[in-house]
Amino acid sequence: MKEKIPREDILIVDNIHTFIGQFHILEGVSVRVPKGSITVLLGRNGAGKTTTLKSILGLTPPQEGKVIFEGAEIQGKRAFNVANLGIGYVPEHRAIFRALSVLENLKLAERKKGDFERSADFIFELFPDLKRLSKLPGNHLSGGQQQMLAVARALVPENKLLLIDEPSEGLAPILIQQMMEAIRVLSEKTTILLVEQNFIMASQLAQQFVIIDDGQSVRDGSMTDLVNDTGMIHQYLGASIKTRKELEMEHEAQA
Amino acid sequence: MKPKRKKLITTLLVAVAVIAVIAGLYLYAGKEPFIRTTLSGLTLGSLFFMVAAGLSLIFGLMDVLNFAHGALFMLGAYMGWQLYTNPTFIFGMLPTVTAFTCGVLVSPVIKPFLIRWELPEQWQKTLPKIAYVLAIVLLILAFLNFNIMELASTAMVAATTTMVGNPLAEITPQEPLAQFWYRPVLLIISGLLVAFASSKPGVKTEFAPKEDLLKKAVPSILLFALTIIATLFRESAPIAILLMNGNLRFLIAIFVAVAFGFMFGALIEITLIRPLYVRPFFIVLMTLGLSFVIRELVQLLWDPLAYQMVRPPLFAQSGKAASLLEWLQNGNATINISGVTFPTYRLFVILLGFLMFVIVTIIMTKSRLGMIIRAGVQDPQMVEALGINVKRVFTFVFAFGVALATLGGIGAGPFLPIQPLMGDQFQMLGFITVVIGGMGSYVGAFVGAIILGMGRAFGDYFALKLSLSPAVSEASTVIIMVIVLLIKPQGLFGKKE
Repeated sequence: MKEKIPREDILIVDNIHTFIGQFHILEGVSVRVPKGSITVLLGRNGAGKTTTLKSILGLTPPQEGKVIFEGAEIQGKRAFNVANLGIGYVPEHRAIFRALSVLENLKLAERKKGDFERSADFIFELFPDLKRLSKLPGNHLSGGQQQMLAVARALVPENKLLLIDEPSEGLAPILIQQMMEAIRVLSEKTTILLVEQNFIMASQLAQQFVIIDDGQSVRDGSMTDLVNDTGMIHQYLGASIKTRKELEMEHEAQA
Repeated sequence: MKPKRKKLITTLLVAVAVIAVIAGLYLYAGKEPFIRTTLSGLTLGSLFFMVAAGLSLIFGLMDVLNFAHGALFMLGAYMGWQLYTNPTFIFGMLPTVTAFTCGVLVSPVIKPFLIRWELPEQWQKTLPKIAYVLAIVLLILAFLNFNIMELASTAMVAATTTMVGNPLAEITPQEPLAQFWYRPVLLIISGLLVAFASSKPGVKTEFAPKEDLLKKAVPSILLFALTIIATLFRESAPIAILLMNGNLRFLIAIFVAVAFGFMFGALIEITLIRPLYVRPFFIVLMTLGLSFVIRELVQLLWDPLAYQMVRPPLFAQSGKAASLLEWLQNGNATINISGVTFPTYRLFVILLGFLMFVIVTIIMTKSRLGMIIRAGVQDPQMVEALGINVKRVFTFVFAFGVALATLGGIGAGPFLPIQPLMGDQFQMLGFITVVIGGMGSYVGAFVGAIILGMGRAFGDYFALKLSLSPAVSEASTVIIMVIVLLIKPQGLFGKKE
């Protein structure tokens, strides 16, 4: 890791190993998340990005290694205890509760009485659609609306860190824009650790990156360095990913 | 809009079919037989619901097939019957149970200190083992020479004699206090040792905050007080209960059966089911085994006999009441419902079943707990990730489901013979109800239970009228299940997943 300006890490994941059943999914993942920034986990499908988030939260507890949140070790704690320290989780595949109405989904996320009343204005300002749909059951929402709800749910209590898993997955381009904007607004309030396959989106949002490959964290650094390093991108993220530079060049060529 | 229209059409079709079936039965059977059979069906349906609701919620939330549900239903009947007929056994055992529990519940209070204890690794493993062994030794010492069988026999004797005489006649003198007091003391110490061992002293990876210690100590302190009271009034409490008005005694019997079910259910979930969530198949075997153990214990204590519980006075006076008011005034055994003579106690069971449905509905739709359960049925992991202690919700739901079953048991007590196998048929029908209604849906459990109850009642009616084999009534259950599964494999109110 490069030496940079002294910074405060809200979350330090130190060489964790996680097994799911007999499968050794994470074989040494280390992530540092500086306070007040967006850090993105990159890597191919099945590399272990989602498992990393779940291991931080304690849903798939790591067998080895340390997870340090605000200076205290949290590995081995039950997930609800970890969440109550102030870590919000937005799972992949829009895992909202389909049998509950939008309002109930949000109310369920309360950790203290009155959490929802306090944050409602902010949430509905960020996602105006949800206010309109608040009485509908979750399974009547469109994919995009479900994703909004999944993010909104993590905003109900006051969180110091948000773990967001693939917010752009399966969304239409216009919704991706909206989601990006929402995440940018959120990053002004909390620290965010993001998993994102959409490289363009990731590169525009995040300040730091960590690349996970085959269950190991192989590279990390600042996003600006990565965007210019086409070789590294192609090596770890697949040749089909185009950097902004390449896209710009294509645009110029077309013009 | 298409799915909505489809839903509307199906609802209409179902409504028409239901009305047609009801009208057909009414026209065919005639008014009086129809009402009588419907009421019998509702009685059975209410009992089925109380068994099935718990099964359905437990399966929906935690994927646990509880094969001990029928045995717990039976245990509820026995507990209520004991308290109603002669509570000597219950009050004789109470101080020992509260004493041990009081000790065990100290665990959350001492855990935050014990896990911070500097202890060499070798002792971290051996110390709990030593504590457990000591606890068992004390447990055995506490129950040595304690004549449980004699306590149990009091109600057996009472059941055969009190029909004619005075219920107080069968109170047997118990161990004097001077001899008895050491048992609860030993049991508290034994419980404390278990609390010590289960708190994992010295294990740094455990997590227990030092907050709210006073709040955590409350259950233990309350139980300590209860132990002292229960020890002192061990002999006089049964007499006091037996001197009470029969109706009040029955109310207490219901309360005792439900409270027992709730606590026993919580105990089963915490000690037996929780370690097995990762191996679902083992849970099936475990609950099946548990049902055998419970049944054998009951047979050991009360012999494999069938007991008849005396109906409470409100349902016991001879003569037919013309109206609800008259029944409540005189306590008649039967009541006139538009020309049909119907036993009042069965009416009470119907009311109980519907009341439970309303209560479950309110809990599930209006409370935060219900919200958590409905969310947990879909994705317990995500509920946990929101900061909710899902394990505690699991324990509650299991305990609640068992409490519903024990309530069904005591509800059935006054009109079914109380015997060790009485729950088996209800468990079977409870499972079928859940399959018909859809896993995890309490509304489905209710509708399924009513349908099955009606099937039984009308099956019996037609068997009698058309001189068919009485097996028609039992076959109706399976026929209904087959039809429902052919049309909707996920059950009437089940969700496709």
